[in-house]
Order: sequence, then structure tokens, then C-alpha cells
Amino acid sequence: MLSFLRKNQIVLSSFSCLLLSLYILNAAARGQLKNDPIGPVLLWLLRPLQVGTHTLTGWIDDAQSIFSTRAGFQTENERLRKRILQLETERNRLLEAEATYRRLQQLLDLRTQMPPGAVTASIIANSASGWFQSCLLDKGSADGVRKGMAAVTPLGVLGQVISTAARSAKVLLITDPNSGVDVMVQRTRARGIVSGSLEQKTIMKYVKRSEDIQVGDRLITSGLEGVFPKGLMLGTVTNVQKQHLGLFQYVEVTPAVTSSRTEEVLVVNAGAGPAKNQNPPLDKKPLAP
Amino acid sequence: MKLSLSFFALGVILVLLQTTLLHLLPLGPIVPDFVLVLCVYWGLYHPTVGAVLASFLLGYSVDVVSSPILGLNSFAMSVVFLAVHLGSRTIWLHDPMTSAIVVLVASLVKGGTLVLVSSLFLNVESYWVGAAVYMIIEALVAAALAPFVFAFLRRSQVYLERSRVAA
Repeated sequence: MLSFLRKNQIVLSSFSCLLLSLYILNAAARGQLKNDPIGPVLLWLLRPLQVGTHTLTGWIDDAQSIFSTRAGFQTENERLRKRILQLETERNRLLEAEATYRRLQQLLDLRTQMPPGAVTASIIANSASGWFQSCLLDKGSADGVRKGMAAVTPLGVLGQVISTAARSAKVLLITDPNSGVDVMVQRTRARGIVSGSLEQKTIMKYVKRSEDIQVGDRLITSGLEGVFPKGLMLGTVTNVQKQHLGLFQYVEVTPAVTSSRTEEVLVVNAGAGPAKNQNPPLDKKPLAP
Repeated sequence: MKLSLSFFALGVILVLLQTTLLHLLPLGPIVPDFVLVLCVYWGLYHPTVGAVLASFLLGYSVDVVSSPILGLNSFAMSVVFLAVHLGSRTIWLHDPMTSAIVVLVASLVKGGTLVLVSSLFLNVESYWVGAAVYMIIEALVAAALAPFVFAFLRRSQVYLERSRVAA
């Protein structure tokens, strides 16, 4: 008997533990386990260890939280940077769209004031040489653009069409030495011819010495040469010199339109009929660059 | 006896870890069951009456600190110890892979026992549905840990036995 017990002591002790567990379970489930002798002792033993470990756990948790927060900030920062980039791109796109809208709106306004048959065109290329001041439009004879028509913008005169192809047209700018536009001073109605020069200056020629011209005077087209409608803004007087000798004054002009900053133009035929409004919108706000 | 007491002390520390530090691991609700691995080790390599009592007491400790009802884990741990001990008579276990499989099975046995006993004494409806997934994941985690814990316990046992012989 004793040898049997010794031989199977592990199995027997295991069964004893199982039975004890079942007894405890049953008693606990029925609520009959009033006095648990082991639990309080175990809890008493574990409590200081648990408190210490809990403190340690708190530190680890805090450290982990700091690191995770930092990592979170980094992720958030990265996300916001991307968002800013997206918004900047979107903002630029919208600004560009707004600027284009304003330009086109002004062009449309101008078109209503121009003689019939005006064609809207975009500048697709500038002069390939410094010797000439010209630009290329994306509309040509197939679109109704003819040689001799005027290229104007809401800000003023750009130039004159000197040649056309089916789908493109070349415009000689008013700043080219070969160009000549009959103009008059808006304030005094004194007349002259505006032309470019190789020194990159635009000058008003053939202005009599007796004429009253001052710096800041605005020049508008006279409409007499039959190319540009009358009353379009051409530029502003920036320098006036009266020589001791000679019949004419030396007048420097700053053109109202800069071709490098112009994208769309209106090609008009002054000979097609009178302009609907002889005073184009000169008080338009400058376009966004 | 000294070895059993040392292992029991280790078991108490493991209970402590399971209730505190191991919750920091990013395993969701799963807490690695080192106590189970220890009981399996006892059942395999240190099958004594002291180990039986230690398994029971460790299970009871878990009950005291976390079970809704006393006796659940002590019963489950006793079942695990007995099953492993009886199984070890017929299976030769020495390589880490086998120990992992034994721990996996033992964990499933423990989980099954807990669910069964809970359904008997706690009257929890549909307990199996959520318990099954948790049980499998817990068993896999315990199995993954088993080779390392076994290696550590093996070395500790060898060291303690040598120091006892030297003394």
C-alpha cells in the first residue's frame, strides 16, 4: 500500500489538487467560501512587489508614451508637411486660374468695345533675336487673322500683325525699330509717331517743340493710320528733352504693354468699322504677374 | 525541496510579471502565459509532489489576483501538470520544437479546461465563441516562448543541482 502510494504519489497528489480545486470552485461559485486562508496571504506577499513593479511599469509606460508621442508628432508633422505642399500647389493653381480668368474677362470686355471680327489669340512664342521685337500668336489666317490687324490687350497696344500662316501670326511689337504707331497725347492731343529703337527705348517722334508734353502724360492711339482703333492706351511719357536746335522734341515712352508679361491678346481690324467705345478701359487694375 | 521552492519563487515572480510588465507588450489582450510554461516544464523535467503543489498554488495565485472565481486556474494548472506528466511517460521530449508543441497542446488543454469549468460554474453564455480565438493565440504565444523558457529553466536546474552537490 505504501509502495503504491509512493509510486503514484505525483498522480495522487495531482488528483488531490484537482479535487481541492473543484471543492474551492464549487464553494466559491455558491458563495460559501467565506474564509479564504491562502488568498490574503498571497496578496499580502504580492502587494509590495506589485506596487514596486507597478511603479516601474508606470515609468516604462511614461517613457513609451513619450517615445510614441514623439513618433506621433513626427508622423503628424510629416503628414502636415505633405498637406501644406498639396495646399500650396492647389493655391498656386487657383491663383493662376483666377489671374487667367481676370485676364480673359478683361479681354472679353475689351472685345465688346472693339470693331466686329476681333479674334482672341495667345502668344505662343517671343522673338528669337534681340534685333527684332516680335511675337507669335496661336491664331492665323484660318481663324480670321489678317496682315495689318492690330494686337491689343486690355492694358493697351501690343503691336501689329505683319505676317500670317494658317494657324499662326507674327506680330511686330511697338517697341521694334521698324514699328510706327500714330499717337496723341491724351491731355493735349499733341500728335507723333511712336517707334522702338535698338537701344531698347521706345520714343515718340516728330513732336513739335511748341507742343506741351510732360513726363507722365498718357499716349493713346490716334486711329489715323487705320491699323489701331482710336483711343487705345499706348504708354506713358517718361522723359522729355527739348534740344537747342531742331524742330522736334525728344520724348521717351514706356509702353503700357510688356510682351513678355502678356499671354492673351485681341487681334482687331480697325478698318472693319468703328469701335463701339472709343475710350477703352484704361483704369483696369494691373494683371497679376 | 530547495529546487521546488526556487521554482515556486520564480513562479510567483512570473505571476507578478504577468500582472504588470507583460501587459506592456504590444500583444493586445494576450498576456504570455509563463506560469503555464513553467508548469509544463515541471511536469516534464521535475515531476515531484512539490511541483504538483507549486502548480496548484501558482494557479491559485493567478486566481487570487485575476480570476472571477477561485479555483479556476488552480484546477486548470493541476490538469495541465497531470496531463503533461502522464504524457511524458510515453513521449520522449528533448528538442525545443517538441517542447513548443507540448506547451501548445498544454495551453489548449488549459484553455479548454478553463472554458469548460467556467461554463459549469460561472454560467457564461456563448463563452466558446470568443474564447476559441483567444485560446489559440495564447497557445501560439506560449509555444513560441517555450524553447527559451525551457532553456533558461534547464540551466537554472543544472546550476542549482550542482551547487547542492558542491554543498
